[in-house]
Amino acid sequence: MAYFLELLVNGALVGLMYSLAALGFVLIYKSSGVPNLAQGALVMMAAYAAWAMVDFGLPLWAAVIAAAALMFAFGLLVERVLLRPMVGQPVIMVVMLTLGLEILLRGLVPGLLGAAPKPLDIGIGLAPVIVGDVFMNRAYLVGGVVAVVLIGASMLFFRTRLGTKLRAVSDDHVASWAVGLSVERAIAISWGIAGIAAVGAGVLWGSVQGVDWTLSSLLFPAVAVVILGGIDSIKGVFVGGLAVGILGSVIPGYLDAYAGGSTRDVVTSLIILLTIMIRPYGIFGREDIERI
Amino acid sequence: MRLFAKLGFAAALALGPAAATAQEEPIKFGLLQDFTAVYTFVSGEYNQGQQDYLTLVNEEGGIDGRMFEAIVRDTGNEPQRGIEAYNRAREEGAILFDFLSTPVSRAIVDQAMQDEVVLITPLHGRGDAAAGQTFPYVFPVMATYWSQAAILADYINENEGGLEGKKIALVHIDSPFGREPTPILEDLAEQESFEFRAFAYPSPGNEQSAVWSEVRRYRPDAVFIWGAGGGQSVSVREAIRNGISAENIYSVVWLAETDAQNVGVDAMEGVKRYEAVATGTDNPILSRMVEQVIEPGLGAGGEANVGSSYYNIGVATMAVAVEAARLAIENGDGPLDGTALKNGFEMIEDFDAEGLMPPITITTEDHQGGGFGRVARWTGEEWEPVSDWTTAYQDIVRSEIDAGAAEYSGGN
Repeated sequence: MAYFLELLVNGALVGLMYSLAALGFVLIYKSSGVPNLAQGALVMMAAYAAWAMVDFGLPLWAAVIAAAALMFAFGLLVERVLLRPMVGQPVIMVVMLTLGLEILLRGLVPGLLGAAPKPLDIGIGLAPVIVGDVFMNRAYLVGGVVAVVLIGASMLFFRTRLGTKLRAVSDDHVASWAVGLSVERAIAISWGIAGIAAVGAGVLWGSVQGVDWTLSSLLFPAVAVVILGGIDSIKGVFVGGLAVGILGSVIPGYLDAYAGGSTRDVVTSLIILLTIMIRPYGIFGREDIERI
Repeated sequence: MRLFAKLGFAAALALGPAAATAQEEPIKFGLLQDFTAVYTFVSGEYNQGQQDYLTLVNEEGGIDGRMFEAIVRDTGNEPQRGIEAYNRAREEGAILFDFLSTPVSRAIVDQAMQDEVVLITPLHGRGDAAAGQTFPYVFPVMATYWSQAAILADYINENEGGLEGKKIALVHIDSPFGREPTPILEDLAEQESFEFRAFAYPSPGNEQSAVWSEVRRYRPDAVFIWGAGGGQSVSVREAIRNGISAENIYSVVWLAETDAQNVGVDAMEGVKRYEAVATGTDNPILSRMVEQVIEPGLGAGGEANVGSSYYNIGVATMAVAVEAARLAIENGDGPLDGTALKNGFEMIEDFDAEGLMPPITITTEDHQGGGFGRVARWTGEEWEPVSDWTTAYQDIVRSEIDAGAAEYSGGN
């Protein structure tokens, strides 16, 4: 029982850490209607930015703020240089563009800042939190709390005036233009906010594994989270993250010994496939989502 | 920017002023490696060490006036790009290749043997390529992963109260590389009467918590971690977090100073690893490199990397390759082509790069060089050797090599 509980709790916390990576994905979709396949690379870039600031001599808190400012600015830049010329183009072309951005960043950022894994110490000790016979990962515990706070903040944001405008833009670009909303500005802000969310994910995951290109591989579980939870639902990010994390922990925990290898990626793949087949808009997604 | 600068310069690497006066074409080595994808954790320092060593040789006058030239290109760990880079470098006259990528090296093996050029595969590639009679132009040069596992097991047997009755866990990335030591450890478990169990985590290894919960319940006496890059520091962190003493953690060669920084230099104290090459600059070759290459500003990368684990491995690979070229030139009467260089490799006897590496002897049958290495312990500041250069259980390793080679021959 203790083993099951440990898999469950750590899986839930890991899932919330995945939610951090998935949050930017949903923020951009919810605001601009574009599935952003560059989100993994944004997380990686955010971690590099935080590491570079710490390496430059800034204290961690200042490094995180500076990285957030940098990533927000980068989000605005992406909109201005890459996405604005694509307004009105088929969504699939914009998706391909984000895929190209993912590949570009994954090569460019380690090329510029060094490819070897870099330490990002945020002061979380290695000792586990032990409750009964259950060992909880302290870093994931902190990550889970940060994820819940950021997800909550995002939900509140979309109830603000600006958040409502972003939702309107996501619903219908032409109608938004017609009523005087700046579609370009809304999309730029959504990318900027996604950049800030990437800092949360990048710093926490970077502290766990070191900062290198493999952080971009968080795109895969992040995609599973948003597909399961609903690509336009922040509530779905929370629930989807928990589900992907728990299933990806508990099932392999019992199955790996018999399978002779790791089954976690198989579980994640099945979550994606089954969700698309059974409930393509996810648990909390809107049914009118355009499939690509 | 360092990487691009390095690649840019390397394409036309003028390796020392003596090159201008050389009477013959330089000896070209194709160092076509993965600088942008999977092997990025090692390739920068490794390649820098290779280039710096060739620069040193050129600064010291080359071999009988023959200079060396490194052709450096990125393959991105993609076989297609590797093949393209190989063909270009072949046209440019390269007679030796090092891809530092198992998938790319595997894709090139047949072509290299057909073209009769040397393919070195230190610490990567096919383990069975040690069978020189089957792979005449492929040279692992250093201990295969099978030999590394054998040396780590032997260390426990000799220094930790024997293997008998112990529980050994292998926690590995779920890939062919990660699974490679399994057959050796299974055979050893039977021979030395210990219990063995393997645990796999998915690539790239940034999240391993569920696996380590299971490992903790297995209560192993020792854990072998078999991954690379960021996954290695995650493994060490998770092991310590799950109450496994750092002293009982043993790693494949891919655990370096950067990983210690990621884990925390103090937290990792006591972790041991297989070591192929000495670290630091306390070695005649490294001393000369610092004096003649690094200090004059001829180095191919950051000064901080000089003497690091992966930098020194790169140096050692080129030391072996240059020694092979020297033997080929001294003992051959024709041009130095791929076949002559291959023969030079097979003449190498008790070569230790002035103490930088274990003494290796390469024969027509054994392209591994004996499967030597040692165990080193992280002290909190550096890697300290805790065993002498040694080789272990080569009878079992050899049976794996021969079985793999026979399978290859059967499929060709």
